[in-house]
Amino acid sequence: MFKRNHELKLIYIFIFALFAIFLFYPLVLVLMRAIQTNGVISLDNIVKVISKERFVTSLSNSFLIASITALLSTGIAFFLAYTIHFTSVPKWFKKLINLVATMPMLMPTITYGFAIIYTFGKQGVFTKIFGFQPFNLYGFNGLLIGYLIYTLPIAFVLIKNTMTYIDKKQFLVSILMGDSPLRRFFHTVFRPLAYTLVIAFIQTFFLSFTDFGIPAAIGGQFEVIASTLYNQMLGSIPNFHNGAVISLVMLIPSIVAVLVVRKIEKMNVRYENISDVMLPEVKKKNWFCGIVSACIMLGVVSVFAVIFILPFVKEWPYDISFSFVHVIETFQSANLLDVVKNSFIVAIATAVCGTIVSYVAAIISARGKMPKLIRGSIDFVSTLTNALPGMVVGIGFMFAFKGTNIQNTYIILIICNVVHFFSTPYVMIKNAFMKMNLSFETTGRLLGDSWFGTLRKVMIPCSISTVFEMFSYYFINSMVTISAIIFLVGAETGVITTKIKELQHFAKFADIFVLSLLIFIANIIMKTLMNHLTKKESEKRYYVEAK
Amino acid sequence: MSKLNKIIVVIILLACTLSGCAKKESSKVIIYSNADEEAQEVIKQVLDENGFKNKYILQAYGTNELGGKLLGEGIDVEADIVTMSSYYIDSAQSENKMFVNLDESVAPLEQTPKYRTPLLAIEGSLIINTKELEEANLPVPTSIKDLAKPVYKDHISIVDMAGSSTGWLLVQTLIDTYGEKEAEDLLVKIMRNAGPHLESSGSGPLKKVRAGEVAIGFGLRHQAVADKKEGLPIDFVDPKEGNYALTESIVVVKRSDKKTKLAKEMAKCIVEKGRVKLIENYPIPVYENEKADPEKVSKQTKQYTKPLTIDLLQKHLDLSEKCRIEARE
Repeated sequence: MFKRNHELKLIYIFIFALFAIFLFYPLVLVLMRAIQTNGVISLDNIVKVISKERFVTSLSNSFLIASITALLSTGIAFFLAYTIHFTSVPKWFKKLINLVATMPMLMPTITYGFAIIYTFGKQGVFTKIFGFQPFNLYGFNGLLIGYLIYTLPIAFVLIKNTMTYIDKKQFLVSILMGDSPLRRFFHTVFRPLAYTLVIAFIQTFFLSFTDFGIPAAIGGQFEVIASTLYNQMLGSIPNFHNGAVISLVMLIPSIVAVLVVRKIEKMNVRYENISDVMLPEVKKKNWFCGIVSACIMLGVVSVFAVIFILPFVKEWPYDISFSFVHVIETFQSANLLDVVKNSFIVAIATAVCGTIVSYVAAIISARGKMPKLIRGSIDFVSTLTNALPGMVVGIGFMFAFKGTNIQNTYIILIICNVVHFFSTPYVMIKNAFMKMNLSFETTGRLLGDSWFGTLRKVMIPCSISTVFEMFSYYFINSMVTISAIIFLVGAETGVITTKIKELQHFAKFADIFVLSLLIFIANIIMKTLMNHLTKKESEKRYYVEAK
Repeated sequence: MSKLNKIIVVIILLACTLSGCAKKESSKVIIYSNADEEAQEVIKQVLDENGFKNKYILQAYGTNELGGKLLGEGIDVEADIVTMSSYYIDSAQSENKMFVNLDESVAPLEQTPKYRTPLLAIEGSLIINTKELEEANLPVPTSIKDLAKPVYKDHISIVDMAGSSTGWLLVQTLIDTYGEKEAEDLLVKIMRNAGPHLESSGSGPLKKVRAGEVAIGFGLRHQAVADKKEGLPIDFVDPKEGNYALTESIVVVKRSDKKTKLAKEMAKCIVEKGRVKLIENYPIPVYENEKADPEKVSKQTKQYTKPLTIDLLQKHLDLSEKCRIEARE
C-alpha cells in the first residue's frame, strides 16, 4: 500500500521547491543589493539609508496607521461576519452584507484614491450634495479610510470563512446552561475565532503596510514607508540598493508575525462535527446588528458609488451630462481585446494552480503529522508572501528570471500571482482544516481508502465552500493586481491592470474608470458563479445524506 | 517503477514542456515606449506607411516602470527599440552597455551620444483650472516664482522630483533663473503652499487640477493643451522664467545582426519621417532645420545651462529633499 507519509513528503518537496525557486531566490537577489554595491559587501548603504530623516518618519507613520487600520478593519469585519452567522436578520440582508463587504476587493486599488477624492474632495459628490467637506481628506484621515476599505474584504472573508466551521450547537448549549451573554459570546464565538482574528489583524496590517497606491493618491504629507520604497526603487533615480535596504527593514515585522502565529496556534479549537442549528431569535440583537451593519455598508457604498457614475459622465465635475464617450473610446482602443483575453487566461490559470498549491500546503501544515519545523516553514512562507510589497516581488522576479524561457510569458505572471497571493487562501483553508475532526484520514485508511481517495471523498467535500472561496480569491486578485506584474508583462502578455497603469501615466483618468468597472463586472460574475457552485455542491451532499 | 518515481517523472516532464513551449523567438521588432498616446500613434502610422506594417509590436509603459525594467533587466529586456527620457537611457547605458550606435542621420540641435537620438521634447508649464481660480478669487500666476506667494496657499499642486522627472523641470527652472540660494528659498515656500498636493506621480497635479482640488498645478504643457482643446475649464500659462524641456530619445538594443539592422532602420524611419508630425503635438524643435508652428509654440522654450545628467539630477534631488524637510517644519 502507498503509505500516507509518502504523499505528504512528495507534496512537501514540491511546495518547498516552488517557494525556493519562486520566492526565496528572487528575494535574495533583491535583498543582496542592500549590502552589496559594485561587488563590495558592506553595511554602509544600510546605515546611510536608515539614518535618513524621511525613512524614520515614514516607518513610524506606517506602523501607526497600519496598526490602527488592522484593529478597526478586523473589528468591523468581525461584526459583519457575526451578523451573518449569529443573528437572524433577513436572508437578503445577509447576502447584501456579503456583497458589500467584499465589493472593494473587486477593483484595483488605483481607483480607491480617485473614489475618495471624487467623493469627499472639494468638488466631490458628498461635498456637492451636503455643501461641506466632512474632513480634511489628505493625510491620516484619507489614508485610514482608503486602507479600511482596502483591507475590510480580506478580514471579512477570513473571519466569515472560519465562522462557517464553528459548531453553533455550543452556542445553544451555552444558552441552556444559563451562561451570561458575555460569557457565552466569549466561549462560543470569540474564543474559537481568536486564532483567525489574530491572523486577520496580521494580514490587514501588512496589506496597509505595503500598499503604495492609496498613499500616492491621498497620503498628502503623511509619509508612509511604502511610498518611500517606491521613490527609491522607481523614483526619478531608480536605486535598487537603497530600495533593497527598505525592503529588508519592511520584512522585520513579518518575523514577529510568524512568532506570534506560532504562539497562538495552541488557542485553536477543534470540533467533532459542525452543526448549523437554528439559533434562538433575539430581537434586540437582530436590530442592533442589523442597523450597525447597515451603517457600515452605507459607508462603504458611499465611497464607491462614484465609481459607477464616473464612466458615464462627460467630464466630472464640470460637465456631468450623461455620456457613453469614455466607454466607447476605451472599447475602441487598439489592443483592448487582447488585454482582456490575457487577463482572463492569467486569472483562471492562477486560480486553478493557486488553489491547488495552497490546498496541499495547508494539508501538510494542518493535517499531516509532520515535524514542527516543516509545518512552521510553510507558515513562514505564508506570512512572508503577505508581508512582501508587490513591487519587491516583481523586481525580484525580474532579476531572477531575465534571460530565461519564462521571461515575458503567461507562466511567469501566473507563478508570480500564485506566490504573491498565497497567504490568504492558505490561511483560509488551514483554518478550515484546523476546525475539522482530526481522525478523518485515519478512518478513511481503516476503511481501505487510499490517501487520495480520502482527499477526494472526504476532505474536499467537507471544505468545498472554502475551496470555491479560495478559487475566487485568487481569480479576483489576479484581475486587480498591478504592483508585481507590471515588471513582468511583455509586449504580448499585457493585462487590464497594466493597461490602467499606462493610462494613468498619460493622465487618461476616465478610461481608467471604465476598465476598473470592466474588472469589477468580471469579478462579480466569477463570484456569483462560485456562490452558485457552492450552493449546488452542498445540495448534492444533502441529497446523498438523505439517501 | 514505483508510483513515487512515476509522479516525479511526470512532474519533470511537465516542467520541461512548460519551459520548452514557453519562449518563441519573436520575429517582430518590439518597441517599448513611455511616450503619450499621440506620439505612439505617430510612431505606428509612420512605420505602417513605410513598409514596416506587422513587423513590430509597440508596448507602452509609464516612465518609472520602464526605467525599472531597463535598469533591472538590462540587455535581457524584451524590447529591441526603446523610446524613453534621455537621462534614463544614459544611466541604463552606463550601467548595462545595452544600446548600439545608431546610423548617421539628421543632426540633433544639442550634442548627443551616438547610441541615442532625440524623438521629442516635453516642456513644463503652469496649468490652471479657470473655474476654481475664479471661485477662489485668485490672480492668474505669471511665473513659477508667483507660486511662492502666500495667497496661493493650499491652491497649488506640484510634483515631487523624487517621484517623477516632471518635478525636475520645476527645480531646473528655479535654479537656472534665480541661482541655487534663492531657488532653495522659493522651493521651500512653494512646497509649503502645495502642502498635501506635493505629488509623486508626474500626472498628479493635472489630476488634482482637473478634479477641482486645486486651482493651479505644474505639469506637462502638451497634456494641458489637450485638455483645453477638449473643452475642459483648463488653461495653461507659460511662466515668465521660460518653459524648461526634457528630451525623450530613441535607442536600439544590442541583438543579432539581422534584427539590429531592422531595428535601426525602423528607428531611423521614426525619426526622419515622424518628426514632422510629432512637432505638431510637441512644438519644440530638436533637430536642425526644424520649425514649430508659431501658434502652438510656447513663449520661451528653454534648456538648462548644463547638460542634464544623472549627477545633476542627483544634485538637484538632494536640494529638493532638503527643501521638502524644511517646508514641513
